[in-house]
Amino acid sequence: MTKFKAFSFLLIGIFLFACSKKPAPDHTHLYEEIRHVNKMEFASMAVTKTVKTERSDWYKVGKRIAVYSFDTYLKAYIDLYQFEMENMEFDEENKTVKVTLPPVKVEIAGRDMEMKKEYENVGMFRTEIDSKERAKMKEKASAELKKELGGNPEYKQRLEDTARRKARSYFENLFKNAGYTAFIRFSDEITGGGDYNLKNYD
Amino acid sequence: MIKALKYIILLILAAAIAFFGWQLYRYLQHPEEIEVLPSKPGDVKEMARLCSMEIYNEVSVLDTVNSKVIFAVQKQSGSISFDMENLQVDDSGDTVKIVLPREIVDIYESNEKNAWEVIDTKAIGPMAFLRNNKFTTAEENRVKSKIKAKAISRLYSNGTVKQARKDAVENLTRLMEGIYRKPVLVSDPTPNGSPK
Repeated sequence: MTKFKAFSFLLIGIFLFACSKKPAPDHTHLYEEIRHVNKMEFASMAVTKTVKTERSDWYKVGKRIAVYSFDTYLKAYIDLYQFEMENMEFDEENKTVKVTLPPVKVEIAGRDMEMKKEYENVGMFRTEIDSKERAKMKEKASAELKKELGGNPEYKQRLEDTARRKARSYFENLFKNAGYTAFIRFSDEITGGGDYNLKNYD
Repeated sequence: MIKALKYIILLILAAAIAFFGWQLYRYLQHPEEIEVLPSKPGDVKEMARLCSMEIYNEVSVLDTVNSKVIFAVQKQSGSISFDMENLQVDDSGDTVKIVLPREIVDIYESNEKNAWEVIDTKAIGPMAFLRNNKFTTAEENRVKSKIKAKAISRLYSNGTVKQARKDAVENLTRLMEGIYRKPVLVSDPTPNGSPK
């Protein structure tokens, strides 16, 4: 009888547990930083990183291959906090203005939260890829990307060139609407000794 | 007989050493099972956006999908910006009138180290110990979509978007007054922002 009671309590316990409410999604903020900025973004680019895991040993039955990809976003901007009234020289007589914009900077804005599954082949007798392993793969891919960006200035150059071109046309248009013909240059294009690289005014 | 046994033992030992040596060689040949393929850059997009706020968050994530629980910590980076190409400008009068456009809220996973750190996953419900506790890519992506939506919604509810719009009005006024050389009035039709 005692055994029967204990068994009944166990069954009731199992049913109660089965009907218990699932924990609601909870995202607690551990840290938060808000930065007031004044940036003008003129170009962006997505770089796709693909990462593969393959563990194949002769004594293991079945394959274990997975390929995932995700995008990382780069942005080119100018910091308008560095842009003062002294950076604009107006000529009211000729209705022209010489503008020196702050240098174009490139930064990594962030990466996709989601990972795209490109391919997965995990045999019946092999362990599935878990979240920790995927996180490790993403981490490694991001570290490689940072190294690539540091060693290869091509992406940065492409973004900077596009951002400069766009910034020029944007501000030229803005000044045109205000009634001025603008000559735009960037502070990092100024050559040593305070001279200006005048070809940018052409 | 004993001599033969000795030879057999020696042979087994030699085979074992050869086997482990071969495994070690294979391991050294392929020390990493994770391979990162070369990057593929996309097209460069042109834009003109005024960014007035940058956000850096670190959140703990506890979520349930298909009777599986995940606990993780995520670092997020994001920004609040405004499209300056489609700005409504009226400069016909003595004062230039500009309408602040709708905000663009971007939230990403940060590119810092350990930006997505999974602490644990477990199965819950009846017979949980018999079920798989591993999240598939699709299940994990569902969790991440929820995190993103929650992070954006929080920026509206805690007043960050409101502050970003206020900052944008000030920054835009200063910039446009320098360009137009006359008073500029930037109006904000939705000071609290427009959540989608």
